Amino acid sequence: MEDKIICVPGQRLCLSDDEHVSGSGTYERQGYIYATVAGVVDLVKQDKGFLVQVHNKEQSIVPMPGDVVTCKVNVINQRLCRCSITCIGDTVLMRPFRAILRKEDVRATEKDSIEMQKCFRSGDIILAKVLPMKEIHSYQITTAENELGVVIAHSESGGVSMVPISWTEMQCPKTYNREFRKVAKVGPENIVID
Amino acid sequence: MASVLLNDAEKTFILHGVEVDLRCDGRRRGDYRPMELETDVVSTASGSARLRLANTDILVGVKTEIDVPYPENPEEGKLEFFVDCSANATPAFEGRGGEDLANEISSRLSRAYQSLPLAPLCIVPKQACWKLYVDILILECGGNFYDAISLAVKAALFNTRVPQVTGSFLDGGSVDLEVSDDPFQCWRLDITKAPVLVTLSKIGDNCVVDPTAEEETCSVASIVVAVLDSGSLTAVIKIGEGSVHEQTLIETIKTAQKIGVELNSSLMTALNQEESLGPKRQRFGFLK
Amino acid sequence: MPSDSKRITGPETTIPYHYYLSDFSRKPDFKDPKVGERKNGRLPNEHRPVFLKTGVNSQAKGSAYLEYENTKVICSVFDPREIPNKNEFSPMGELYCEFKFAPFSCIKRRGHIRDAEEKELSFSLRRALEPAVCRHEFPNFQVDIYVYILDSDGSDLAAAITCASLALADASVPMYDLVTAVSVGICRHLQFVDPTNEEEQLCKKTASAESIDPQAVITLTYMSTLEQVSEFTISGTIGVCHLEDKIPALIKHCNAIYPLLQQCLIKNVKKSLGKKKYS
Repeated sequence: MEDKIICVPGQRLCLSDDEHVSGSGTYERQGYIYATVAGVVDLVKQDKGFLVQVHNKEQSIVPMPGDVVTCKVNVINQRLCRCSITCIGDTVLMRPFRAILRKEDVRATEKDSIEMQKCFRSGDIILAKVLPMKEIHSYQITTAENELGVVIAHSESGGVSMVPISWTEMQCPKTYNREFRKVAKVGPENIVID
Repeated sequence: MASVLLNDAEKTFILHGVEVDLRCDGRRRGDYRPMELETDVVSTASGSARLRLANTDILVGVKTEIDVPYPENPEEGKLEFFVDCSANATPAFEGRGGEDLANEISSRLSRAYQSLPLAPLCIVPKQACWKLYVDILILECGGNFYDAISLAVKAALFNTRVPQVTGSFLDGGSVDLEVSDDPFQCWRLDITKAPVLVTLSKIGDNCVVDPTAEEETCSVASIVVAVLDSGSLTAVIKIGEGSVHEQTLIETIKTAQKIGVELNSSLMTALNQEESLGPKRQRFGFLK
Repeated sequence: MPSDSKRITGPETTIPYHYYLSDFSRKPDFKDPKVGERKNGRLPNEHRPVFLKTGVNSQAKGSAYLEYENTKVICSVFDPREIPNKNEFSPMGELYCEFKFAPFSCIKRRGHIRDAEEKELSFSLRRALEPAVCRHEFPNFQVDIYVYILDSDGSDLAAAITCASLALADASVPMYDLVTAVSVGICRHLQFVDPTNEEEQLCKKTASAESIDPQAVITLTYMSTLEQVSEFTISGTIGVCHLEDKIPALIKHCNAIYPLLQQCLIKNVKKSLGKKKYS
């Protein structure tokens, strides 16, 4: 571990010019880049110059539009399902945030024929993406991508985790009962282990 | 503060106006809006005042009651401020909406009024004292609460009549309070040590006196200075979420002090003038 | 703190016995102004030694402990959470500050419910910290800051602000700058930087009605890199002329404390880096 530059909030890092752009953990004021958190300075090479960032392991994060989040489904009705966000990317949150997944945002195609009960059940763990915030007190999320949707679901009868068998179905390994879900295609690099 | 919705263009307009020393209502940076002040408007209060500063309408009533002095200050009376941001003023104050603002104003006021000597309010040391309840009602908001409230409070305290009460010790240490037979036998408070508050809002590079609600929205930081007749300061408060440079702070306080002294003297002139009209003067009341 | 119905309540009002001591009402004497030496041998413009520690509360996102000899403050900062009882969108995050004296921290016992003074100090704390925090980074959320004065011996507000600033930085709440605060007590020609309780009492006691001598406690909060004053409070009576030289002096003291906070944070980062290396 070679010498790393450690900085504290308010510390001036460098000039803000064509080669240095202010990234996360920093802010720009009067032509200079300053740090906003205590941490390690990190220069990320970009196509043109560097992105100046300050990294801190413990930084608290709030969901931002575009983030992929892990949620737990709480309540479902015909129009929407209420979830609580438990992870943002790889970071586990200390306290969950409330989110709403509306019927129109479940999948990208055949939006009119969506039945919420056939896509999610309460207790499911889903991957979703945060939409721009419109309403206070709840984030809006969407699963309208192949990689988004249910990743962990327990079968109604056996209570064991089910195995996906198609885009819309999962099967219980014990009873072989099939249940409908909006299944996420989990890529090999981010396999979620129960 | 009750915020007004302004878009960027409107804000820029106000900002540019302040820069060239011409504000939206035609005032210069150091000018106050017209004020109307009337004392003795509530018959049931010991003292009252109503102040209207353009669109800001404040009604203050002072009640006097007998209480036991604080053990740490056995020879002093008590003074308490209560602010009521009524939902009349803006719907934002509905329910508990105005509570934070009310608490903030009342705590700041009591800090500024620490200079007022409370010893005359003591009747019998350790046993009985006067407690002044200063109730402030915000009837309409048009910006610049602090100045308006402080002027109204000072006027109400000027107007307050405390009944003549003598205390005597009975056997066993209990106190007997005797109110004078003549209900008109009262004494009045000395308000030379009561401050007025002067708010200066920083808009752009300049500070303006007596900001309107719109100007308050444009400003990120305001300095409120409590000034006595003598020119001494009893409190400096920063309101708003911004910060100021050290030099600005000193300059602002200096300007505010000058204005405060002027404001104090014109308030006293106005109060004395009203007083000289006698009890038969024409009353205006608050509905006019 | 919610009122606790199970707690056995004492009598409605009690009076600490200190008020009956013969020398309580007597003013503390600082009769020899020439030497300017204070009770504990400090110079008039000497700050008490500062002790800082972060990460004292494992449950909180960030926490800090600060000690100026007998003034002891602990502060915890928690993760952003949704603003309760709010119905409209607020583009800026909010700070919720709670300033509380421990019941046993002062001569007079403090209640469990915040009194007017504590509420006022909470406002000042919030005003002091607000300009320093990048509140646009957590819209619609509030960060809770709880300051507890464990032992009060003067300069409580200044200690609380400095401690809260360190705790915020420890919690990795994005900030434009660290804030530091220092108090000064003024009584006639005497001045006490970082006053103790006794000195504060001396400066707060109302002078005789006629005197125009300055008597005040001034607290100034400063952001050293941005060169901005984020909070400034006076309690007492003072002329403008006295302020002019007090403000720069206070800023100098704030600047002196600033590197201590920085060092404390750098040490923290190094520690966490070290941990990473071995794990």
